[in-house]
Amino acid sequence: MKKSLVLLLSLLLVTTTMLSACSGGSNTEKPAKTGEPAKQEEKADNSPFEVTLRHTQVGADKKNRLAILQDVVKKVQDETPGLTIKLDAVDSEVNRKEKLRGEMAAGNPPDIFDVFGSPDAQLYAKEGRMLDLTPILAELGLSDKFPNVLDPYTYEGKVYGLPIGASAEGFFYNKDYFAQKGLKVPNTFPELEELLVKIKADGKTPIAAASKEGWVPLMLTNQLWARYAGPDIVKRIAAGEAKWTDPNMVKAFAKHVEWEKKGYFKKGELGFAYGDITGQFTSGEAPLWFDGTWKSSVFKKGQSGEAMIGKVGFFNMPPVDGGTGEQTALMRDSNNGYGFSAAVADDPRKLDAVKKFIKELFNEDMQLRGLTEDGVLPSMTIPEDKLNSTVNDELMKDIIKVLNSTQGSFPAWDSQVDPDINTEFSAVQIQKLIGGQTTPEKMAGDLQKVTDEVLANKE
Amino acid sequence: MNKAMKNPTVFILFVLPAVMLFLMFFIYPIFSSLYFSFTSWNGVAKLDKIKYIGIDNFTKALGQDRFWVAVKNNAYFILFSVFLQVPVIVIFSLLIAHVKKLKGLYKTAIFLPSIMSTAVIGILWGFIYEPDIGLLNKILSFFGIGKIYWLSDNTYAMLSILITNAWQWTGYYIIMVLAAILSIPKELEEAAAIDGATAYQRATRIVLPLITPIISVVVMLSIAGAMKAADIVIVMTNGGPAGSTEVMATYMIRYAITSFKYGYGNSIAVLIFIFTLIVTLIYQLLVARRNERIEY
Repeated sequence: MKKSLVLLLSLLLVTTTMLSACSGGSNTEKPAKTGEPAKQEEKADNSPFEVTLRHTQVGADKKNRLAILQDVVKKVQDETPGLTIKLDAVDSEVNRKEKLRGEMAAGNPPDIFDVFGSPDAQLYAKEGRMLDLTPILAELGLSDKFPNVLDPYTYEGKVYGLPIGASAEGFFYNKDYFAQKGLKVPNTFPELEELLVKIKADGKTPIAAASKEGWVPLMLTNQLWARYAGPDIVKRIAAGEAKWTDPNMVKAFAKHVEWEKKGYFKKGELGFAYGDITGQFTSGEAPLWFDGTWKSSVFKKGQSGEAMIGKVGFFNMPPVDGGTGEQTALMRDSNNGYGFSAAVADDPRKLDAVKKFIKELFNEDMQLRGLTEDGVLPSMTIPEDKLNSTVNDELMKDIIKVLNSTQGSFPAWDSQVDPDINTEFSAVQIQKLIGGQTTPEKMAGDLQKVTDEVLANKE
Repeated sequence: MNKAMKNPTVFILFVLPAVMLFLMFFIYPIFSSLYFSFTSWNGVAKLDKIKYIGIDNFTKALGQDRFWVAVKNNAYFILFSVFLQVPVIVIFSLLIAHVKKLKGLYKTAIFLPSIMSTAVIGILWGFIYEPDIGLLNKILSFFGIGKIYWLSDNTYAMLSILITNAWQWTGYYIIMVLAAILSIPKELEEAAAIDGATAYQRATRIVLPLITPIISVVVMLSIAGAMKAADIVIVMTNGGPAGSTEVMATYMIRYAITSFKYGYGNSIAVLIFIFTLIVTLIYQLLVARRNERIEY
């Protein structure tokens, strides 16, 4: 009797433990079940439903961008009866490298999510996790509104994501300092080098630098080799048609090293994180700063460069004598944008919400708001007169002027090569080059070795 | 009750929840990791599309110079903690155990770093190592020593990380050793003192032998901690400059996880597991087993 009582009690204990352990699982399945009847009903279904939206607008720097997104969300919700868009904010690096990847592996990404173009979106598209937007773009009349920026989001001819904006890379310069010292924006490469000499002689660090993350100094190296070896060299290297050891490529690496040796960059740069670079420029320590146009948002009200509003200019890397290819080309990139879960296609109401979201976010007004409020260049075509009448920020005008005066562009090198080459170059080789542990020739050879391995594996 | 526990059915029922949790969170991940380490999984592909590639991942990892740099750095971590950190831990514990006043303050102060998040410590020490305005260079300039670029010069970068890591964890182990020292019966030391033993003799001949088991545990924990170190490296140098401070865990993240090579990443994880197993096994065989059991 006693024995059976104990048995009974222990059985009870185990079953309750197991049941409570399982209860979490059954909870998560509920929304899916309530969604099913909604699918079967025809038209005018106003029952509540939810669309999840993962964004990366976290922190003070991105509050302007968040405000734009919130306005879009509100509009879509107002237009769609029953819809609640659930915002899920995650830091962009965490989202890109961990959270979204985990969700993609498990096959349950949010309905709408912030996604990096190449190679991320293409890989997710290849594995069938992303919604094909080609028919939606055609339906909304947007097919030809994104000139030259959809490549990172295109897989086998179909579009799987839309870039929120575009960016370009060039030199920011301190206008006040230039005026004080009687310096001029360089039009030729010798003028640029002369400028560097003068700034150095004045006791300043010519160029701000923070190379703890290798991609930061590589922005400049990339621009240099685009001048010396041509804007399309990386594309050809990735295809096996050219080599890193190309003499012009080595010349570009050598130029970077020469500038390092002459002390044109902030000393100890390998120990500084990307966040430190802004301070070097805004404090007046370094009058030049090679970076992407996204950094123009620093010189807006309430941001760390507020004191320099109107005192910052932007210029393109001048042409190199005897350089290869188009000498005004600069890096233009559009890798930040939104993608949508493939599962959305199974639910007509969600699909409708996604269409509305695209319509409200990707239009001229929102693109111009992004430009004026957030310093993000438009990814869509905007008539030039409209652009000029909207922009009143001096720096932005400078940037647009530079963009209008350039002939060609090239995508960032790291979006064109295999991740193995990217890691080798940005995590190791470029830092070795800056630290004087390798030579331009040796680095080119090492990079080529990794590239050859990658190409061999592909075959 | 005892009778009931002898009944295997009841016994199993009681053990089952714990066993299930253990299977779910320890055994299953280890085996799935082992499984993926033999594949070229990209982390996204559906499971039925995964390709089996044998031991390719392992031969690739073991053939990479950079992986061995990471292994070497893990070895530095171990050597630094066993031969420098552990003696410091023991000395400080002995000192604190014998202070008369403010013992609580010392204990709290020394324990403080180990409750701070590694990210905070990274920023804190980032300021200390800052070349232009950092505390360390300011102090050194007092003695006429020129600027040292602690985190950007590969001569010093690894050392800087090791010092920070030691600073973070020393307090934690001191508390453990301190507890062992304080649990030694007072009579032992008193008797020795009456017999004329000096404080140094009491520390080396009585206290130290009695706390050897706990020191052995501290060494084991340090080794295990050193093998899986990653966070401190990520916040301080991110493996740089030029990969000189990469450890196995950061190597795994950089060369595998961020490059969509989950199969390769899992093989590195398995290698970390195997290496840790080997190192602890060697330690067990060489040192820990020889310790005698102590009974008061």
